[in-house]
Amino acid sequence: MADILLSSNFQWVFVSAVMLGMAAGMMGTMSNLRKQGLMSDAISHAALPGVMIAFLMTGEKDLMFLIIGAGLSGLIAACLIQGIHQSTRIKEDAAMGIVLSVFFGGGIMLLTIANQVGQGKQSGLDGFIFGQAASMIRSDAMIMGVLAIIVMLVIVFRFKEWKVVLFDPNHAKMMGIPVKFYESFYTFLLVVTIVIGIQAVGVILMAALLIIPSVSARYWTHSLLIMFVLSAVFGGISGGLGTLISAFGEGLPTGPFIVVSSSVIFLVSLFLGSKNGLWIQRMKLSKYKSLKSSHDVKED
Amino acid sequence: MSYTGWILLTASLVGISCGIIGVLLILRRMAMMADAISHTVLLGIVIAFMISESLQGTGMLIGAMLAGLLTTWIVQWFQSKGLQSDAAIGVVFTTLFSIGVILIATSVGNVHLDVNHALMGEISFVPWNLIDVPLVGEVPLAVVLLVTVTALVLMVILLFYKEWKITTFDPALAASFGIPVLVMHYLFMSMVSITTVAAFDAVGAIMVVAMLITPAASANLWTDRLWLMFVLSASFGMGSSILGYVIAIWLNTSISGSMAFATGLIFLFSYVFAPRYGRIAVLKKKRETI
Amino acid sequence: MYSKALKRFVSIMVMSFVLVGCNVAEKEGGEDQPIQVVATTSQIGDSISQIGGEFLEVTTLMGPGVDPHIYQPTQRDIQALQNADIVFYNGLHLEGRMDEVFEQIGKDRPVLALADAVSAQDLLNDPDEPAVTDPHIWFDIDIWMTALDHATKELEELLPNNKAELNVQKEAYFSQLEELKTESLKTMATIPDEQRVLVTAHDAFGYFGRMYNTEVLGLQGLSTEDEIGVSDIQEIVNLLVEREIPSVFVESSISERSIRAVIEGATQAGHSVTLGGELYSDAMGAKGTETGTYIGMYKHNIETISQALLKEGE
Repeated sequence: MADILLSSNFQWVFVSAVMLGMAAGMMGTMSNLRKQGLMSDAISHAALPGVMIAFLMTGEKDLMFLIIGAGLSGLIAACLIQGIHQSTRIKEDAAMGIVLSVFFGGGIMLLTIANQVGQGKQSGLDGFIFGQAASMIRSDAMIMGVLAIIVMLVIVFRFKEWKVVLFDPNHAKMMGIPVKFYESFYTFLLVVTIVIGIQAVGVILMAALLIIPSVSARYWTHSLLIMFVLSAVFGGISGGLGTLISAFGEGLPTGPFIVVSSSVIFLVSLFLGSKNGLWIQRMKLSKYKSLKSSHDVKED
Repeated sequence: MSYTGWILLTASLVGISCGIIGVLLILRRMAMMADAISHTVLLGIVIAFMISESLQGTGMLIGAMLAGLLTTWIVQWFQSKGLQSDAAIGVVFTTLFSIGVILIATSVGNVHLDVNHALMGEISFVPWNLIDVPLVGEVPLAVVLLVTVTALVLMVILLFYKEWKITTFDPALAASFGIPVLVMHYLFMSMVSITTVAAFDAVGAIMVVAMLITPAASANLWTDRLWLMFVLSASFGMGSSILGYVIAIWLNTSISGSMAFATGLIFLFSYVFAPRYGRIAVLKKKRETI
Repeated sequence: MYSKALKRFVSIMVMSFVLVGCNVAEKEGGEDQPIQVVATTSQIGDSISQIGGEFLEVTTLMGPGVDPHIYQPTQRDIQALQNADIVFYNGLHLEGRMDEVFEQIGKDRPVLALADAVSAQDLLNDPDEPAVTDPHIWFDIDIWMTALDHATKELEELLPNNKAELNVQKEAYFSQLEELKTESLKTMATIPDEQRVLVTAHDAFGYFGRMYNTEVLGLQGLSTEDEIGVSDIQEIVNLLVEREIPSVFVESSISERSIRAVIEGATQAGHSVTLGGELYSDAMGAKGTETGTYIGMYKHNIETISQALLKEGE
């Protein structure tokens, strides 16, 4: 048992998962406030046509090109989602659904065409850019570490601006903050995080890390700063805990256990969270009721 | 009927049932539900396999339906506890999917079990999977399933039309009228689950997600009236299936992919030209007010 | 205004139904026309066309490089299936839900699952899950010949006048396969027993392993949707280090990421492992190239494996 904790594969995965959990936790707090929690799911589907076009152009399954294709197509998708939402009455979630399904449909059309002209190299393309948490190596650990640091620096150095832009864009405009710039920068950073995440650990884990820690953090605080910190901590703990559990025996998949760890943190927060937790709500309600009933009695 | 006839009929049935459900889905801001269900059905088919030890269709379909219902109910429960809808969907689908993967790895072992193989249908094969229906003759199984679902959807929507309208647009008002808002939500979510899973089984996930969201969102740009939105959304769904089929033949490519893509073309058209909330109409209105 | 548009729309719909309904494709049935054969996988398609030669026109649905997992039918595939005189498929759930399609097509023409010809005791079952059988039967040449023999018998019934020629071509092809088998066995036998370990990304080489007495270890299970854990990777790494296995392999259809993690892990533990090369598992190479044929694909795999495993553990 102790052997595996000393092995380099375990250490790479552990460090990468913790770092990715922290980066995604911080990014997730922003996307959660903008109701874009499911963005990673949308972008991972929307990446398919980009992957296909990159393949059809180069004729090779070169991971680097495919990821660039995926990233560009994800970026276009993210801009379209923003654009549809801002220029029409359609809500974010519907805009995501539209872009997701139409891009993916287009990707499948291209995949069918690649099947006819691909000379046999196209096999497995659809899953090629999706990673597995357990197969992360030293370079992944470094990329995740850099990502986490960049996200943290971006937030820390412009915390006040982010706060206004996220909570009250109109007010931010009046204060003279370039809201458009911040919004585009946020979208860019989100897409980069998602693409780095899905190629290393897959879609589901990435979606979970972007959503669950930040949602859990909201049950403990109303302050944005503490929310960022807590969300990063929850994300990091989920990543570390999930990796540890999967090291305990054969056939325990790493990614899913990270997701389940974060879900457990979420359930604890939902019930016991010091702000808005269900238990607190009930306590307040019963207090209110008893106050009210005693009040009623007096009035009689 | 000919091959093409069955394909268009199947796609149109998906277009109608999903188009109608989709209108309420986007108005309630739950558009990503269908995509979530397309993942969580994995848990259902894993458990169905563990119980029945077979990869046959019926067990898988029942398992998937139950998983879909479970997904929608948990999401609804979280929402009633004050969670944002996208957060509720995100938490539930990633967790249930992961539990499914863990079960595959720990208890199912080396089975060739994936959602694509076990559950997702392929529209080009629909006309070849026939069953005998008394009085009608040989009809594709998918058509029978979809006719049933479409009838159910139409019935439930028409029967409680007023209630749907009020609970969707103004839940508080609905509650003051004595309409059981929460029960209506659960009923609606169950319908979402049944429709999507049945449609997955017939035509696959890509088409279903596209047909649920895009035609309804397009219709949302044309009108404010709910009944018209239903009618338009269903017609857009049918229109995309014909357009998509033409594209598929033209480019010799996947039918379901093309149909999903065609919903996007109809949305693009609506985005520019829709008389009420289309881009041109909005810009014109702006100019007039200035 | 809307209802008018709607009416027009419905009438177009109805018209298209009727129009298409009238347009029933007629099949020309000339005497000397080759019979139309549809095969699902490239392995079947290539082998059958070697045997059938000029008597057949073979359409392969899952062409070069298409593995059954990502197969998307096109319009031309559908037409080929509709016009087919006979259909061959692998069976054992390799084609997934297409089984239902074959059942339906099988009502008015011969449709054959090659795996049906193989007796149950020759098939590999998963020890833990008796309900599931490994479908990758083409990696065992003996089984493959049994299956092809069965397929040829079916072809003979469609071509009663050309029985003799068919048999000659079959014998010629089978002798090539026999040769392939002897050579492969010989080549594989040069690898020392303890080094005969095939580490790949997913379990497609079960039959191969049995035939050449080779231990087969897949990181992922049969399903490509499987997720792996840290300890699964570690187990393979330990095994590589302990037994000093020089090479691991990637498959043409699966990302090499997990295999790379194994290589780096072993390197870190002080044992250098190389990437032995790319093997064809579910998919085959491009048409017209050597690996686009069954024999060529097989030879490529054998050569790649033997060269990589024979490397001295320097």
